Amino acid sequence: MERYVKGVGMTKFSFEDRSTHDMSHEAIQQALNDSDINIDKIDAAVVSTVDTEINDERQRMYGPVLSSLLKKKIPIIRVPAVCGGGGAAFWTASRLKYNNVLVLGVDKVLSSPTQLITEEIMNAGDNFWEQEEGVIFPAVNALVAQQHMLKYGTTHDDLLKIAYKNHYHGSMNPKAKFFGKKISLEEIKNAPIVSTPFNLYDCSISVNGAAAVIISNDKTDIKVEGSALATDYLAPFEREDMTVWNGTVEAGKESFKQSQIEPKDINVAELHDAFTIVELIAYEDLGFCKKGEGAKLIRDGYTNLDGKMPVNTSGGLKARGHPISPTGVAQIVEITDQLRNRCGERQVNNPKLGLTHNVGGAGGTTTVHIFKKVAG
Amino acid sequence: MTKTIRWICEKCNKKWIHPIETCLYCNRKIIKQIGTKLKVIGYTKVNIPCPPHPLVPYNVLMLEDEYGNRMPKKVIKDYKIGDIYEDKPDSSENTISIVKIKYDFYEAVKEALELIGDIDVSENTRILIKPNLSIPGYAYTGICTNPKILNALIQYLLDKGAKKENITIAEQSFFVPLEKIGKKSGIDNIIKKFNVNYVDISKTEFEEKQEREFTFEVSKIVNDFDLIFNVPAIKTDMLLGIDGAFENLTRFLSKKTFDELAKDVKKAVMALSVLPNMFPKFITIGDASIGMQGNGPAQYGEPGFYNMIFAARNPVVHDKAVQEILCLRKLPYVELAGKLSLGENDISKINFVGNELDALRRDVKQPIGSKLIKRD
Repeated sequence: MERYVKGVGMTKFSFEDRSTHDMSHEAIQQALNDSDINIDKIDAAVVSTVDTEINDERQRMYGPVLSSLLKKKIPIIRVPAVCGGGGAAFWTASRLKYNNVLVLGVDKVLSSPTQLITEEIMNAGDNFWEQEEGVIFPAVNALVAQQHMLKYGTTHDDLLKIAYKNHYHGSMNPKAKFFGKKISLEEIKNAPIVSTPFNLYDCSISVNGAAAVIISNDKTDIKVEGSALATDYLAPFEREDMTVWNGTVEAGKESFKQSQIEPKDINVAELHDAFTIVELIAYEDLGFCKKGEGAKLIRDGYTNLDGKMPVNTSGGLKARGHPISPTGVAQIVEITDQLRNRCGERQVNNPKLGLTHNVGGAGGTTTVHIFKKVAG
Repeated sequence: MTKTIRWICEKCNKKWIHPIETCLYCNRKIIKQIGTKLKVIGYTKVNIPCPPHPLVPYNVLMLEDEYGNRMPKKVIKDYKIGDIYEDKPDSSENTISIVKIKYDFYEAVKEALELIGDIDVSENTRILIKPNLSIPGYAYTGICTNPKILNALIQYLLDKGAKKENITIAEQSFFVPLEKIGKKSGIDNIIKKFNVNYVDISKTEFEEKQEREFTFEVSKIVNDFDLIFNVPAIKTDMLLGIDGAFENLTRFLSKKTFDELAKDVKKAVMALSVLPNMFPKFITIGDASIGMQGNGPAQYGEPGFYNMIFAARNPVVHDKAVQEILCLRKLPYVELAGKLSLGENDISKINFVGNELDALRRDVKQPIGSKLIKRD
């Protein structure tokens, strides 16, 4: 079954206090407009949103909520996979035998102080082995980074270059939290420590937002060439090698196999940079370089906007912002926009193949999607 | 000793970090692999607090055992890579061991006892276990001693050489028929499983004992044993502050004594402070596997999900440590008991083994309504 992206839409990712209904409506309306269809043509929907205690509108039955908004009684499935929820929703939707499927990611996480958000996100780790031992998400990723540094000689400066790159990209994205705000490498290096060696700029920023994509059997100019989901053990300490995220390895292999292309063929990618180390490990686990050589890519500028394969032109989770479930959908929005050459000053030169990589937990659930620009 | 636990298939050697009965691949028996030689292979210093981990900075160590199995461990003390991590058991009166349960109650109870110097048990040792079964409650509510704790303790005693004929569970309730509580809490099933003795203390003989201005009628059963385990369910208590080692002893008293004390709460608190003097030496195993917070100790309290086990040879040390860990207000009976030299109530002089105090402290919902709890 050949699948295409018809249209995309997203809100600005921000600290703005908006309801999920309001944000969903904006993203969906944009996606419908971009697709040049109205809601009548939507046959099914897949929504990803986290079940959180930390906002003022906790809602477990988000499917029917969306039904109320759409004023439709179509099949609506909820696919939660925390930070990987958006990608998992797209993966699910692309397997449904409906013509036009709406994929929505929406989350309002900023209704609470940092410590409550920290606890909420920590709940994506193992209950007794990790949560009880204070393994908040910056900590688990910092431990992984440290192992990578010990094993391969990666430095913290290498990681901070990823933060700098993504902030530079994000400063050019009107939908990004850090739009118009340039952050110097000096500021990044001098930021307060969160969990050694990580400082504030190693960590993505929590925001509110929604993103929507309409998948279709109707041929468009954006073809879904590869679509894979893989999992890995929940806790990195349980894995044979903490620096290899097998969910990324497996989903990447499968997606490239479906696309019949190689990593070197990708022109632009949105990689899951919840923490700087996650992007660096993804370079390696997706095959953009050999294991242990991720730092070389960032040192050489390979993933910069003017590099061989720009990564996170949207600003990534770092600078566009990370509203949890919408992230994976927003990555597809960016790649679609790049392939349609409508990214303004952050536009990559005429890309034909784009990749998205979305991770839930510390490598637990991973989706890799490959999109190809075709004649519409 | 802090230990790693893995559940391994005896045939194919696949490992799990969660307990399972049989291997999903070969349907063979699962055996436990316990690692005790722990080396620090990584660490991160966390500066971001969250409700379960309010005190920062703290460290999360990545420990690796002699089999290559890893686990994270929260500590306050600084370590460096290559350090050996070990707990030093201490059998002194001012020591308390605190163990976080890693899915395995048996290993947690064993570890808690080992850390206070372990116990001497032979086939002739007569053992009395006093759980908390004073009010009916399902295990998940934290009202009664968790049957999993009792199961683990009895199994450990049997493994140490005790005879089931020499193990007695004793309890009474001043409010509800004991049979009803045993059934609802699930303790009945444990008693049946091991076929150990079960005694309703109300049906035993009592003898009068004098301590200061108080006259207590104490069950004679306490004189018949070589080893006594006091196993309270750790709960907040609107009147006393907590139900811990002291409160659990009250069910060794006659109903007449209890009713007499209940007439005057201030007097009861004073009597409680000297109550341990009525008994031979005993070990307290505080069951905070579920635990309670808020308006305990009965149905108005909420499960605390503390996931901890405490062990101490002195009840003052035990209850003082619990009060500090749960950030509750000072307990008048503990303060008084300390002044009467029944045990150490200066927290700086209490020796914590297994986990450091500041690595354990957490805010819980305070019990309200007591006019006796001293505001400090």
